[in-house]
Amino acid sequence: MRAIRVDPGRLRLVGWGLGGLAAGAAAGICAVFVASAVAAGRSAATDEDAARIVDAGHLPPLLRLPGERVTLRFNVFCPAPGDDPFDGTPCDAGGDVFVRARRSGPFRQLPLRETDDVAHGRYVVDVPADLAASPEGFSYYAVLRNQATGASITVPSGGAAAPQLSLPLEHAVEVELGTHAFGSTRRADARVASAIWGTAPGEVGLLYGPSFGPIGPSAFDVAPNGEVTILDQANGRTERWRAGRVAAAVPVDVTGGIADMAVEADGSIDVLEPTGSGSAATPELRSFDPAGQLLSKTAIEDRTWSQLRRGADGLEVQQEPSEQWMPVRRGQAWLARAAQARAGHPGRTLASGRELVVFRTGVSEARVAEVAAGHVVRSWRITSAPPLGEIQLAEPFGNRVVLVVRPYTETQDEFLVLVLGDRGLERSFSVDSADWAETAPLARFRLAGSSLYQLGSTPSGMHVDRFDLEVNR
Amino acid sequence: MSLLRPRVAFLAAFAVALSLVAAKAALATFVSANCNYNAATWSPNMYRDGSVTVALVARYEGYHWGGGCWNDNDVDQGPNEPLQTYSTGGEGGDCSGLTFKVWRESLNTSDGGHYQWGRLRNVHGPYAAADFKAGAGVPNATYPKADAIVMDAFASNTHIGMVYQRLTSGADQIVEAKCEACGTNIFTRTYRSDSSYGGVRRMGWTG
Repeated sequence: MRAIRVDPGRLRLVGWGLGGLAAGAAAGICAVFVASAVAAGRSAATDEDAARIVDAGHLPPLLRLPGERVTLRFNVFCPAPGDDPFDGTPCDAGGDVFVRARRSGPFRQLPLRETDDVAHGRYVVDVPADLAASPEGFSYYAVLRNQATGASITVPSGGAAAPQLSLPLEHAVEVELGTHAFGSTRRADARVASAIWGTAPGEVGLLYGPSFGPIGPSAFDVAPNGEVTILDQANGRTERWRAGRVAAAVPVDVTGGIADMAVEADGSIDVLEPTGSGSAATPELRSFDPAGQLLSKTAIEDRTWSQLRRGADGLEVQQEPSEQWMPVRRGQAWLARAAQARAGHPGRTLASGRELVVFRTGVSEARVAEVAAGHVVRSWRITSAPPLGEIQLAEPFGNRVVLVVRPYTETQDEFLVLVLGDRGLERSFSVDSADWAETAPLARFRLAGSSLYQLGSTPSGMHVDRFDLEVNR
Repeated sequence: MSLLRPRVAFLAAFAVALSLVAAKAALATFVSANCNYNAATWSPNMYRDGSVTVALVARYEGYHWGGGCWNDNDVDQGPNEPLQTYSTGGEGGDCSGLTFKVWRESLNTSDGGHYQWGRLRNVHGPYAAADFKAGAGVPNATYPKADAIVMDAFASNTHIGMVYQRLTSGADQIVEAKCEACGTNIFTRTYRSDSSYGGVRRMGWTG
């Protein structure tokens, strides 16, 4: 039997090594614990953010028919009072509406009253008859508050400087669409762009999976000469199409989310990104030169946008919750958020300086008015048997107005193109919705010259079709 | 020399152990480092406007496919994740996970719910978008799109978003967890008129 002899020096070495392992592990665990505690502390500190959450929902009655009772309705979204701000009860909210006849003069302060009607807006105020009856309409803004915390929001955000405007329609031209025959769509006069999904030059990116998307090119624009530019945000580029072929692909620094786009006369590209990067940040308008070099980034005033358009004197964005069009650039000057808010107005500015105000109301009615200096110059009231979805496009077309609306049922939808004249509906035709892949919400149509262009898609790719409006079919 | 060698051994072992712990910590995902599996609490209250605030907290917190855990620091702590990858453990809900929490539903599809899930509770719920579209589960029902109001939803086979406010254009503001590049927020959408979407109502609101 042999005795095992252990070298005391080695034993000491192993002991020191094991001690080092234990000490290192302990130090690491302590460091991670401290870092986690700091992070948790930061997270706990931001729990207080619940107190500052206040947001609003409001559908402004932009265009009213004679005799319609005017009740302004608001929802106020903020945490519940008490120990548990997310226990499912509504917040303790309130506020005031400031209203006046016409667009000038002193406002009358009216307190909101609470109702049980969250469907249309829990907080309401009836506009006094003398103000509602003004032939030049009335203007208003609301200051909505979380009574428990004092947090508040003003809608529209320009407040007294740019109140919302509600105009009477005294002599609207009535257009009754009746029932809609789904399936009787007009064929395009030309397919001016077409690409399969992919990443290679000449292809267009698609975001799609079993439980995701499909999201295709999110916007496009058409120059007066018919040149089409497609925002291929998934591939971080724009593609210019001329005579049915890709003429140029221009890389642009975009986030890849669903964005809107406008191309200016000098070829500059403006991309309106979907969201800001924090509660204090609002969506960003990125402007690029024709070669894709970033020129500027401008935050819009409100948290949400609906559409970006070239206006008579620059770019305008329809923003929410203000539900106003706000200029983001005037001439060569980009506007700060407060300046945008101060210039908000209900309709899109036209080249003539007039505004085109659009109001989809009820389930199946659309109202459109051309407005000059706060007065309705001419207007249309369109009613339909099937429900109407969004108004995709409203554009002047000579002395007429082109409107693209979307009749739908639970299982069908199509776009309906209406050419409105002073006497009513001059022409209409249906267009296949061709909406397999999602785009920006109101970016499926553009009017250029006398042609209407549609951005469409199928499982195999995307396309842009042209419909010539002067052609009778 | 005899004292130096043990010290070197100690320091080397210390460094190795520290590195291993640090590496382990660095490999932690947002979910593994922050989220919990606490029980939900039942609440008699379930007002539409009271539930909206659950979604408002989730704004700016990102999108994570299959996810349902977020804090409220307005930063996506799991950005740029690969599409449809759950294992990255990023921050945020996906569309159906957000809806599940905002609608205060139960893991048991035959239970009407009224459950308050903490924002850091990592739960997606039993429904995919297509399930919501079909009205699956006791609390959920298909509903005419034209009549949809705040906190009703529009669902397709791949996505669901909740109604926030109708707009003058006829489109809707929708609160939703949309995509990795889009995050969770309030967006303008046209789901109401899109025939690939159906209307869904969460039943049992108390107001």
